[in-house]
Amino acid sequence: MSAADRARDALSRLVDASATERILISTAALVLSVLIGAVLVLVAGRMTTCTAGEAVYYFGTGFCYDPVVVFDRLFLGALGDPFSGSWSPNGQFAVTLRESTLLLFTGLSVALAFRAGIFNIGTQGQMVVGALATALGVLWASSLVSGTLGTVVLIPFGLLVGAVFGGLYGAVPGLLKAYADANEVITTIMLNFIATGVALYLVSGIFKDPNSAANQTVPLPEFAQFPALLFGGRQDFSIVALLFGLLAVGALYYVLEHTAFGYDVRTSGVQPEAAEYGGVDAKRTVVASLTLSGALGGIAGAMYVMMVLGTFQTGIPAYGFDGITVSILAGNNPLGVGIAALLFGVLKSGTTVVQFATDVPPQLVGVLRGLIILFVAMPEFFRLLARGLPGAGSKPKAVATDGGTDGDRGGEADE
Amino acid sequence: MATAVHLDGITKRFPGVVANDDVDLEVERGTVHALLGENGAGKTTLMNVLYGLYEPTSGEVRLDGEPREFGSPRDAIDAGIGMIHQHFMLVDPMTVTENITLGNEPRKWGGLAVDRAGSREAVVDLADRYGFDIDPDARIEDVSVGEQQRVEILKALYRGADTLILDEPTAVLTPQEVDELFDVLTELTSQGKTIIFITHKLGEAMRAADEISVLRDGRKVGTVDADATSQEELAELMVGREVLLDVDHGTAETGEVVASASDVVVEDERGVRAVDGVSFEVRAGEVFGIAGVDGNGQSELVESVTGLRTPDAGEIRFRGEDVTTASRRQRIEAGMAYIPEDRQDRGLVMEFDLVENGLLGSQHGRELASNGRIDWPKTRGHAEAIIDEYDVRPPDADAEAESLSGGNQQKFIVGREFERDPELVVASHPTRGVDVGSIEFIHERLLELRRQGVAILLVSSKLEEVQGLSDRLAVAYEGEFVDVVDPDETTEEELGLLMAGERPGDDGGGGGGPAASEGGDAGETESDAPTELTDAADGERA
Repeated sequence: MSAADRARDALSRLVDASATERILISTAALVLSVLIGAVLVLVAGRMTTCTAGEAVYYFGTGFCYDPVVVFDRLFLGALGDPFSGSWSPNGQFAVTLRESTLLLFTGLSVALAFRAGIFNIGTQGQMVVGALATALGVLWASSLVSGTLGTVVLIPFGLLVGAVFGGLYGAVPGLLKAYADANEVITTIMLNFIATGVALYLVSGIFKDPNSAANQTVPLPEFAQFPALLFGGRQDFSIVALLFGLLAVGALYYVLEHTAFGYDVRTSGVQPEAAEYGGVDAKRTVVASLTLSGALGGIAGAMYVMMVLGTFQTGIPAYGFDGITVSILAGNNPLGVGIAALLFGVLKSGTTVVQFATDVPPQLVGVLRGLIILFVAMPEFFRLLARGLPGAGSKPKAVATDGGTDGDRGGEADE
Repeated sequence: MATAVHLDGITKRFPGVVANDDVDLEVERGTVHALLGENGAGKTTLMNVLYGLYEPTSGEVRLDGEPREFGSPRDAIDAGIGMIHQHFMLVDPMTVTENITLGNEPRKWGGLAVDRAGSREAVVDLADRYGFDIDPDARIEDVSVGEQQRVEILKALYRGADTLILDEPTAVLTPQEVDELFDVLTELTSQGKTIIFITHKLGEAMRAADEISVLRDGRKVGTVDADATSQEELAELMVGREVLLDVDHGTAETGEVVASASDVVVEDERGVRAVDGVSFEVRAGEVFGIAGVDGNGQSELVESVTGLRTPDAGEIRFRGEDVTTASRRQRIEAGMAYIPEDRQDRGLVMEFDLVENGLLGSQHGRELASNGRIDWPKTRGHAEAIIDEYDVRPPDADAEAESLSGGNQQKFIVGREFERDPELVVASHPTRGVDVGSIEFIHERLLELRRQGVAILLVSSKLEEVQGLSDRLAVAYEGEFVDVVDPDETTEEELGLLMAGERPGDDGGGGGGPAASEGGDAGETESDAPTELTDAADGERA
């Protein structure tokens, strides 16, 4: 029992952890995951063969892979080697920021729905719909304006189109949940397939670029794409998009914390019965938050088209699913999403750097990435878990006698 | 007499909280020992230590003089300790016999099958030995709450319990069932069993117990002989200051009808009529009470009035308008305050701090928000005002709701709802699970609102509460009002019979006869009767 008691105490401390403590815990988890990853790299390095010249030596033993190099590439490589003097805004750092920007939007999309108590797995589908709508909308509108004016008009227009169509696509599972009691996990997963399928049908048919072998639309004109300010154009990153992303972080934070709608969303998310009691219209809140969540996913799609590809092409990478991890990593907090998206972006872009620089197999790099995410997300995951658990956390149920309805559910659960 | 249970210097710490602080408790064999205290005093924690759910931080548990260490309830049960929880742990579709023997069934065929005949026989023997009146073949879902409780007691006895711990056993019982329970306890102690009985009701402790130990803030403040004490002394020990156990109800000056229900029908999830054609009206300046055992349609009726549920038939009117299908928000904005029966599910968002909780229900209003934007500084001021005026402890607006004790949570809800400047207050079990000090305070506030001309719909399963506060009192039974009476002209026994579904005139002579076994002093059966504060509510805290 004392082991269980200790576990309970640990969970309580985790639930009660302050913001500073949580950041410290996350940092410690990151360091720990790197240490364990290093051991894995060493072990894997013992199990392969290489020439004596290629090997590195630790503790008098030779290893084929050097964990120091691996993690140096994974992190510093992803940042474009800021300490080497050869740092360039057009280098790997831009790739990292590009990935981070897209993950920022998908992360926010998932986080908003999570805060409303809804598990939106459909961000990927909403992103696809937003991307396709943006490509088609901007292609149509680019015949009306051009030049610098075109950039100024078309970029907001493209984001808007992405947001509207992503939002509408998010509203579908929202309506189904609110009025037909359909579980959003099921409907959003299914809608992902529908989005991908319909997009494939459209761009391999009527909207297909006749000059391309790939299933894609006609490329957008240069002026209808995000300008490559400061960072050059080589890595398909635009600082403007990142600024939009940071703006979205701030806006979502403001909406959640400072508006009545945000209050409704948060209340519905943590305690739907109390929300109902407090006059929150549960159905409307579900539809509204999934719509807004879909809009954020749609914007991610718009960015992918207008910043990265310059066209719509089938097979959009799984930013929407990565957004789930980003959101959990961030504790579903918009401000945290900013940091988590950056970490995730570093890992994604660092993986390719590691592959260029070392012989470490990509699968092993994937394992290292997974370890880092797992370790950093675990404390948050346990916090979420412990909050729902009777007896853990600072709930008086565990410590107080209680008459009335409070009972001692903590005790009962133990039996 | 021998000491059956001896808790020696028990201290139980949780992170940041000392739930029990060096508590000594000696319980004599063959006696009923009441453990009395306010919410959060540490009663249940102490008993959970005895029952093996918690390991004490320090101190020792001794049974019959032998030091024991319990790693789990299993060890405690093996040592002869049984606990009857407030929420019964019975399997509803199974029979009484099956529930009692569950997990310890007599076996046959070399342990391969349950010996049903043997089980039944064992249960009948056990019931006969202690004089329990139960039907061993009835299904749990078909028997009364009182009988379910007896099944729980038999279950503990079947597992060989010598010491029984009962956690707030009377909370769900009618007055008659309470009498029966106390008879059972007497029978058990006469056969050498030891009973520890957790309660926060003074009257019950005095009636049922031989000795009473009072806990306050995790410490034991005294053990008294039940025959040599008074309710006033116990209340003072519990609260730490003097409490006057009396209420000045006064007469009502009623105005126009504020809210009314006509022929309301509510069907539950299974299609059973939980509310079956109920009509009533509540006037400005009056308290309309609804008494009844829980689960007789009161919750469904209240939810129809407040907008959490749409009735299947009938009409709800509020301030002259038909609000039968109006939303919660519309009703809140029209001036309806609502103290919900379940404060931890409905009334408060447990993860939110008090600032955010003070906003619940007002987030779309004009006082604390404008154009959909929340004015946090104002909202904080609002929460601080409630905390201040309603004496919520600790007085910290940044404390999360779940960190407050039940009584303080309730005071915060009451404060928030009363501060809406309402036309109608729907108070559903406003003092459930709340300690004496807070009860008197909440009652006083309710009556003050009534004096200001607010209409009050009060629902409670505590008879003395509805009886003491109401101007008119309806008794609910199986979804209907059995009768609407003048509470001052009706005895507790009469009400008890109405609550059990006996319609007035059902039996001509039986009115107060058989049930009135308890000396006929209606006001004394329970202590947390409406009371009034003597001095300002600043009882000192250690």
